[in-house]
Amino acid sequence: MSSKKWYRSLSELENSSEFDEFLHREFPQAAEEFPEGVSRRRWMQLMGASLTLAGAAGCYKEEKLTPLAARPVNRIPGEHQYFNTSVEVAGQPYALRATSNDGRPTKLDGNALHSSSGNGGSNSYIQGSILDLYDPDRLQSPFEKDNGESFLRSWDEVDSAMSALVKQFSADGGAGLGILSEPTTSPTVARLKAALQKKLPKLGWFEYRSTSNSNQLAGAVKAFGQPVRPLFDLTKTKIVATFDCDLLSSGLNAQHYAKTFADRRDPKGEMNRLYSVESEFTTTGTAADHHLSLASSKIGALLLDLEAAIDAGATKPADDASHAEKFFAALADDLKANAGDCVVAVGPGQPADVHAIGFRINSKLGNIGKTMTLVRGDKPVDHADSLKDFAKQAKSGELKAVVILGGNPVYGAPADIDVTSAIKKLEVSAHLTFLPNETTGKCDWMLPMSHILEGWSDTTLADGSYGIGQPLINPLFESRSAIGMLAVLAGESGDLQSLVRTTAGNVSGKLRTEAAWQKAVHNGFADGTAAAAIEPTTAAFEVDAAGDWKAPVEVSNGQIEVLFTSSSTVFDGQFANNGWLQETPHPLTKLTWGNAAVMSPATAKALELVDHQLTKVEVNGGRAVLPVYIQPGQATGTISVALGYGRTQSGIVGGDEKQGVDPVGVDVSSLRTSSSMAFATNATLSPLQSEEKLASTQDHFAIDKTGMEGIHDRIGDLIREGSLDEYNKHPDFAEHRVHHPPLESLWTEVSYEGHAWGMAIDLNKCIGCNGCVTACQSENNVPIVGKDQVQRNREMHWLRVDRYFGGDDPEQPEVFSQPVTCMQCENAPCEQVCPVAATVHSDEGLNDMVYNRCIGTRYCGNNCPYKVRRFNFLNYRKETKQDNLLQQLVLNPEVTVRSRGVMEKCTYCVQRIQNTKITAKAERRAIGDNEVVTACQEACPSDAISFGDLNNPNSDVAKAHADSRSYGMLSELNVKPRTRYLARIRNHHPWLAKADHDHGHGHSHDEELGSLESNGATVASHDSTNSQEASV
Amino acid sequence: MSLIFPNWTNRLLAAAGAGALIGAGYVGTIVFAAMHPTTHHIGYQPTQPVPFSHKLHAGQLKLDCRYCHNTVDRAAHAAIPPTATCSNCHSGKNAKGVTPHVAVHSESKKLAKVRESAATGDPVEWIKVHNLPDYVYFNHSAHVNSGVSCVSCHGRVDRMEKVQQVKTLSMAFCLDCHRNPEPHLRPLDKVTELSWVPDEDPEVVGAKIREELNLHPKVNCSTCHR
Repeated sequence: MSSKKWYRSLSELENSSEFDEFLHREFPQAAEEFPEGVSRRRWMQLMGASLTLAGAAGCYKEEKLTPLAARPVNRIPGEHQYFNTSVEVAGQPYALRATSNDGRPTKLDGNALHSSSGNGGSNSYIQGSILDLYDPDRLQSPFEKDNGESFLRSWDEVDSAMSALVKQFSADGGAGLGILSEPTTSPTVARLKAALQKKLPKLGWFEYRSTSNSNQLAGAVKAFGQPVRPLFDLTKTKIVATFDCDLLSSGLNAQHYAKTFADRRDPKGEMNRLYSVESEFTTTGTAADHHLSLASSKIGALLLDLEAAIDAGATKPADDASHAEKFFAALADDLKANAGDCVVAVGPGQPADVHAIGFRINSKLGNIGKTMTLVRGDKPVDHADSLKDFAKQAKSGELKAVVILGGNPVYGAPADIDVTSAIKKLEVSAHLTFLPNETTGKCDWMLPMSHILEGWSDTTLADGSYGIGQPLINPLFESRSAIGMLAVLAGESGDLQSLVRTTAGNVSGKLRTEAAWQKAVHNGFADGTAAAAIEPTTAAFEVDAAGDWKAPVEVSNGQIEVLFTSSSTVFDGQFANNGWLQETPHPLTKLTWGNAAVMSPATAKALELVDHQLTKVEVNGGRAVLPVYIQPGQATGTISVALGYGRTQSGIVGGDEKQGVDPVGVDVSSLRTSSSMAFATNATLSPLQSEEKLASTQDHFAIDKTGMEGIHDRIGDLIREGSLDEYNKHPDFAEHRVHHPPLESLWTEVSYEGHAWGMAIDLNKCIGCNGCVTACQSENNVPIVGKDQVQRNREMHWLRVDRYFGGDDPEQPEVFSQPVTCMQCENAPCEQVCPVAATVHSDEGLNDMVYNRCIGTRYCGNNCPYKVRRFNFLNYRKETKQDNLLQQLVLNPEVTVRSRGVMEKCTYCVQRIQNTKITAKAERRAIGDNEVVTACQEACPSDAISFGDLNNPNSDVAKAHADSRSYGMLSELNVKPRTRYLARIRNHHPWLAKADHDHGHGHSHDEELGSLESNGATVASHDSTNSQEASV
Repeated sequence: MSLIFPNWTNRLLAAAGAGALIGAGYVGTIVFAAMHPTTHHIGYQPTQPVPFSHKLHAGQLKLDCRYCHNTVDRAAHAAIPPTATCSNCHSGKNAKGVTPHVAVHSESKKLAKVRESAATGDPVEWIKVHNLPDYVYFNHSAHVNSGVSCVSCHGRVDRMEKVQQVKTLSMAFCLDCHRNPEPHLRPLDKVTELSWVPDEDPEVVGAKIREELNLHPKVNCSTCHR
């Protein structure tokens, strides 16, 4: 038992009646065909947009077999094929590995050959972007708008119109013609841009994306006199300090950082220490050893003070000093003591000045050249200024025609830039877009853009390597990529491949040979093209960042700071129509299908706001009405709002006013101005007397209801953590957190010869990034259910990431993430109550789910102590008349598609186990030690999940189970979970160390019954399954 | 003696008898229907777009099954061959009026669809004969590499002019063999030799092969259902 105070949500902490009700109703509402409050039409639309499947085979249907006329080399019908491709997803370049099934791409993962993916890790954006390919709302052919009516056009007609446009403006060197593009790292786009600008020297080139990295480059210009970007080497780093920076899970190279960070989280080796200062909790903050919640606007002041403190040397703070003071002193002390072995990372939202200070600190500490290298970056472009220029020139008549390449500037622009009226002023406007969006509707030409997997492209990977994107499939519709479009404008002939090959030849002469090109395409990137490190001298500069960051915050209305973050799921809104991503819970708030004004309990109290209450946020002259979400750890006096929601023209999932589909969430771009793109100060929040129910999954699947008073103690039993000191004293402290009487089974103990599949999850490595959740959804054909169903506790994710808060101060909590899947209990409680043997054990220890036998009693879900079973309350794949063939293409053919009325749950990716076994058998060899890789494990960038055969002592999982940190969650119930966790170890600075847990050591694990009386909470949890309410 | 039951109860006996008869008939019909070969599609013999004769190719010409179904020992599916495989022997004339390869029956009307497919690249639409439900994941390579012959499930295809289903391919059929594989095992080099019969007792031969190949067929649900 741990002494720390734990909670999952504030209502749990406060023991509210709502939470009580939640616990009593495992499946809160009775099943019904159509959910209340949602029109049948909307329901059908939603379901149509999730995965659909042709009706169950009732009578014998003649099936056709259509072999290809000539089979391509290496193609085996029905077998996966893998192709490496490097493309941009959500504005970042990634080296990816695409899985193709009989010519259709079905999954995207990281390409383990390239360092930027860590070890083949990925994230939700990557996993989810495969669904986009098969989105029925995609623009399918070019259209021209004339007098408010749309006319279907062919690309030939488009090409001649565009060529005529270029010709028209070329008389005056291109003056009057503009290109508004999303920023990209593609060298081919850069080459074509240069070619176009050579042809049309007066061409206007504008770039805009609602989030960008230009502040960092501008800061580098200030600090070094040239645009450089840092690459961190966390393998050499002892101290990592992040400032408003989600280093480990968003931004360039995040998967690499997650992997190299996690590599040094083994307490047996030399552990690193992560400090994180931020306004909104990011996943990096949850992984931190020490965390400080601080308003974004004060981070510059803190960094300036930190610089001074490093120069002067830190002194041990008084025992009664505030958390902020202690944190600051420890950080300064650690950085100074580990000069040359540390990094300071500043987030993209911070102003250029703060980045410059960050660079100066790194430089002073001698980190440059050691733990971080600098490589050449692009010239910084302030995107807001660029878009402002565009609007100004359009309104003044200077600009007459524009071609918009991707993006959605009408939606994403800050409030002070009126893109709509700018576009209306133009004589000709064309938008090349993947999905028709708010911008497309304003343009004269609507041109369909290809998916990243539909054509040749290139990109510059994080380390500067030249990455090649190869097509996995021909364009499904009459679409074209940005490269193809630019080539037409620039008058370059040739197909996409030859356009990219020309660039490749320019990047590296070697790539002109066929062999080198083939190898680069195979690998997804060209070897030896990584950027060279440069060591610029630090310039002297002045910054305007001083301030008092330490003063305790008085929350006063009118002085609230609003932080704008790109959504962890729908990004800047580009994934708004992606059901998988809309339904992926936010790592911290666990919100799905929407955004909220996220604030800390103290802020909410001062503003007299409660959860779900609507509040009017006013700042910069703009206003937005958002529901309140109270989140411990949000910096006091700040709220954070996610961008990317409130889309009115995104499609039937994300909202489309033309089809009568309400937007998902609230558009907050009216609160943003070009001078406050990352955060705005002096906001006023006024409470409204109504509320909007948010779909947060945080209290779902509550494990038990016994002893609400004791729940904080028991969370410490579920997620076990300790300090490094404690670990060094008692390496097996985790196992001893829980005491229980000797475990005796009512059933005959089964022994497992042959294989015994098991999993281990290292909580010290897990950063809670959600990559595994979306990967599981993609691999296992997990349906989406929609906002209303999520509110009813019916989300279908087989893998969830539980998030707990710890500590006494909800303003400065510690956060813990814990992925939970089916534990494949050897003594499975679900199997014992199934009346029809629909869930039975395999002789390899898998808890098999037999869909055809299941009659839907839901007894198993009730009896599952981990709450990992999911019931198909409705047919979430109901056949809809339109487009179901298109959407079926994303399904993994290796996994059965489930229908209404059956239970489902994690299978340990049994399809991968079986296929590996069959392959090994055919090759007459044993399965490799770590050959079976589950989808979640594959996606995990930090290698927190290991899987394999427990009977093979050489497997990673067997080693992990034997680790002294390993414990089984709820193993005191004698369910014998096959998944074990490795306890989390925090590497505290001595000045910030908390009192050790002094309970439990020295006892034997199976304690005598007599000592139980002193241990009430544990007894209660032991009884918890008996008190589960049967709510069926 | 007074009557314990009134007279009309006599009719109950007859009614009960009739009920029993009807019930037995009902159960019998259900069992009969369930067991009937057509329920399991035994004898299902669709007409293919090209009258390909397995009897001729596999039987008389003794082409190995894997000449066409060449993925059978490497993959889950024993792929239907691409048109290119047919064209190895049955290519039509090219633009110059010359047949580029060995041209067997290069002008046969029956092969028109094959030539058309080879020329246009459009597939020949064959009709699936052996069709398992989508929730069953049968893997050909796992069986062929374990000494289970094609004939065990598909019968003597080398004697069929027009292929038809001969086994139930039901779950019971699968389990029979998974529980007792010996009679169905043969040396790996005889797997595609459909006419092969063991010299000794099949059980003995099978037991030896099972030992040799270290075969432990599973009967877990997740072996076939995922």
